[in-house]
Amino acid sequence: MSSEMSRMKFYCDDDRCIECDGCSVACAEAHELPVGISRRKVVTLHEGIEGKEFSTSVACMHCTDAPCEQVCPVDCFYIREDGIVLHDKEVCIGCGYCLYACPFGAPQFPRDGAFGTKGAMDKCTMCAGGPLETNSVHERELYGQNRIAEGKVPVCASMCSTKALLVGDSENIATVYRARVASKGKGVQTAPFGWSKAYGQ
Amino acid sequence: MANTWGYGAMTNSLGDIQNSKAIIIFGANPAVNHPVGFQHFLKAKERNNSQLIVIDPRFTKTAAKADFYARIRPGTDVPFMYGMLNIIFKNGWEDKKYIDDRVYGMDEIKKEAAKWTPEKVADVTGVSAEQLMQITKVYAKSTPGTLIWAMGLTQHSVGTSNTRLAPILQLSLGNMGVEGGGTNILRGHDNVQGATDMGCLADTLPGYYGLSSGSWKYFAKSWGVDYEWLAGRFKSKDWMSKKGFSLARWYAGVLGGKPGEDKIHNAGTNLKALFVMGNGITSIAQQAKVKEALDNLELIVLADPFVNEAAILTDKKDDIFLLPAATQFETSGTVVATNRTAQWRYQVVEPMYESKPDQDIMFEFAKRLGFYKEYTKAMLMRDNKTEFKWPEDATNEIARIIKTIGLTGWTADRLKKHTDNWHMFDEVSLRGSGPMKDEYYGLPWPCWTETHGGSTVLYDINRSVKEGGMGFRNRFGMEHNGTDLLAGKSSAPKGSSNPNGYPEINAKNIEAVLGITLTADEKAKIGKNWKVDTSNIIAEKCMKAGIAPYGNARARAIVWTFPDQIPMHREPLHSPRTDLVKKYPSFEKDKENHFRVDTKYGTLQSSKDWAKEFPINLVTARLVNLNGAGMENRASKYLAALTPEMFCDIHPDLANNHGIRNGGMMTIHSPEGTHITVKAKFSFSVSPDRIFIPFHFAGVFQGRDLKSHYPDGTAPYATGESANTVTNYGYDIITQIPETKGGLCRIEKA
Repeated sequence: MSSEMSRMKFYCDDDRCIECDGCSVACAEAHELPVGISRRKVVTLHEGIEGKEFSTSVACMHCTDAPCEQVCPVDCFYIREDGIVLHDKEVCIGCGYCLYACPFGAPQFPRDGAFGTKGAMDKCTMCAGGPLETNSVHERELYGQNRIAEGKVPVCASMCSTKALLVGDSENIATVYRARVASKGKGVQTAPFGWSKAYGQ
Repeated sequence: MANTWGYGAMTNSLGDIQNSKAIIIFGANPAVNHPVGFQHFLKAKERNNSQLIVIDPRFTKTAAKADFYARIRPGTDVPFMYGMLNIIFKNGWEDKKYIDDRVYGMDEIKKEAAKWTPEKVADVTGVSAEQLMQITKVYAKSTPGTLIWAMGLTQHSVGTSNTRLAPILQLSLGNMGVEGGGTNILRGHDNVQGATDMGCLADTLPGYYGLSSGSWKYFAKSWGVDYEWLAGRFKSKDWMSKKGFSLARWYAGVLGGKPGEDKIHNAGTNLKALFVMGNGITSIAQQAKVKEALDNLELIVLADPFVNEAAILTDKKDDIFLLPAATQFETSGTVVATNRTAQWRYQVVEPMYESKPDQDIMFEFAKRLGFYKEYTKAMLMRDNKTEFKWPEDATNEIARIIKTIGLTGWTADRLKKHTDNWHMFDEVSLRGSGPMKDEYYGLPWPCWTETHGGSTVLYDINRSVKEGGMGFRNRFGMEHNGTDLLAGKSSAPKGSSNPNGYPEINAKNIEAVLGITLTADEKAKIGKNWKVDTSNIIAEKCMKAGIAPYGNARARAIVWTFPDQIPMHREPLHSPRTDLVKKYPSFEKDKENHFRVDTKYGTLQSSKDWAKEFPINLVTARLVNLNGAGMENRASKYLAALTPEMFCDIHPDLANNHGIRNGGMMTIHSPEGTHITVKAKFSFSVSPDRIFIPFHFAGVFQGRDLKSHYPDGTAPYATGESANTVTNYGYDIITQIPETKGGLCRIEKA
């Protein structure tokens, strides 16, 4: 599918998320993030309370009408054709406006140094790197791995232990999730539906 | 388990859990400890509307996904299960035909269960009668149901009773030997099943052959060494058949003879040297004793990819050696998964720096100790080689020798093929297709012959033996108190030449049971019985006749050699219910020479009113980001960052009653006279009568920071007090597993 037709999204199936933190650790490890920068986080609400506890994994959601892009005073954000929201760290002035605007608390700022040193913002790139030359050393240093360019699933979703976290083209995500919903209560199928009836065992 | 039906291993597989209509979990937390395997539980819920029932002292991450959760008081699993059996029998929900054909001694269970009315169970376990009835009904009515457990069920002074009653519950409902049923015990680490299969135990040779002289002779022959030479390695012959010290109480071997210590039986000497290969001995109970023992050893050798924190815990300065062992990625060979399947792993990188793979470390020792030739000879015997190829020849040696659990089919070539063709197997049934047709992934043992496809569901009589079917093992004789122990009529595996129960096969009965005649040549070659028949004639003939070599018998609910012939409730040694201790006391007599050390039960339990001084239940378990003793994970900055400090989960009511604030420090005192000070973390996952602490931390001992003990540059990112500094004394009466899942403590604001 060409990139003009795809729209990349995240979806976390909270029926399946068990707060194992595989996604966030894989992310930090893959992009060699400093401790304290959490591009992805697992959030658990009502911990320990029966019937209420649930967990979900949150990162930059790569919004269609991204508020971060709208409020940025130096216009460092850009949105790819496939919907991935990226920014230019060499233009970013670390003002933190995007953090105010973001509904998900995704933008991260370096914490080393006294008095809350700002510095270029860092956030989930959906493993798509940044504006620099694809898979260059410079890109890797500033933005981490560019797995999308290699045709790989972002590392968080590929590491997800229960496959709660889905990422990719929205149509594909919908297909995976639809199959999950449609299979509810249908029992385990080790052969495609109708197979044994039509062709025997 | 082994004492109920023959083998002590997970009966089905993780994938097979997807076939379950109900899943009941006692003392396991797969969402945290088996996060990848847990997807099968979630899929069972999604696809099968499977009812997930969690019985646990804590509201765990697994409980958060459950349909039913019961907060049980630690150490009361036996009453809970008898409560379930009480309701099952009362309503006639048991599988009568199954019990008649395949179980011995259920009547005794029925009698005991009758005493455990829901009201009585509620008083003992803390789970309401209504909830017990609801859970029992859901579980009994939703078949097949699978029963899951892990260390939460085993680590008790009555662990053996727990792990016997759980199978009995499954037998009563006919849930054994069916897809979606079974007792699925989740192993805690990579290759735990393989390690026990290979005899990393204090009481048996590899393959659970035991320590009898017959077994030693079989191994001497199979290893190509002289039995007398083997015997000569021991102080005297009789020590060959004695159990060793266990991991749980090795320290007693060092401390025995000191005032206040349990008496040891170790040929008149204490342990002087300790050699540890990849075992986090700082995560076992009685940390203070472990430290004292380490301090008193003459020699400590620790082979590990990371610094084994035993070296940090001790104040011993000299004669401690750290051998850098390679990781699994730097070597190759098989590991055995929780469901008895083998997986071949290829080497990814060469061993880094000075590290050596475990086998090379052992070869070097064998050379220096002067028995390298004897040590490696068995690898040459199969094909009469002069040089062995590692690890293929070791794998083939195992296949050649281990008959008891059916490893004959596990040749290196076959296992490699499974790893290479991983994509050709179904994740639920484990069945292969295409070139891998008629084999289950990883050839789950027993895999009787070199063409057998493995047995993915143990004790399934709806499959032929060739397809992995079998009845229960004939392991406990032919009759007991006049009752036939062989399986009932028409309860043999599908396609069997003998439709009824039959004994285990030996050279004498093979012709009669299988209805065949052996040739003179076969008679000359055949081994004495199926367990030592290296000719494999017995297994081959059995496959043709559809007969399981180990027989077709009844599972038993009564174990006549145990102190409790049927499982009985006995309060933990340190119980918060002093009133119930009087009613359900622990074993009256202490156990002498229990894995070489005298072990206390009732005398310790009744020595004082523990609950008065230590009123809070102490529960320990794991965290998702850390594993075992935790050293390798705490040395990873991202994993350490998730839980940078040792902490205690405490209910706000309990904390506030003691003036402890969320994030403030609290001290936990143990009946052992030890204490740790850790950070309080308010949590509703525990009730106000208990606290939870994780057991992965080390590097701080009763307030003393041991950071300076780490060799330069090896200190992990996170260190902390070890939970096992405050876990209580108490050991299982049969296996000696420590009672870490239900002790007592006292807390105060630090």
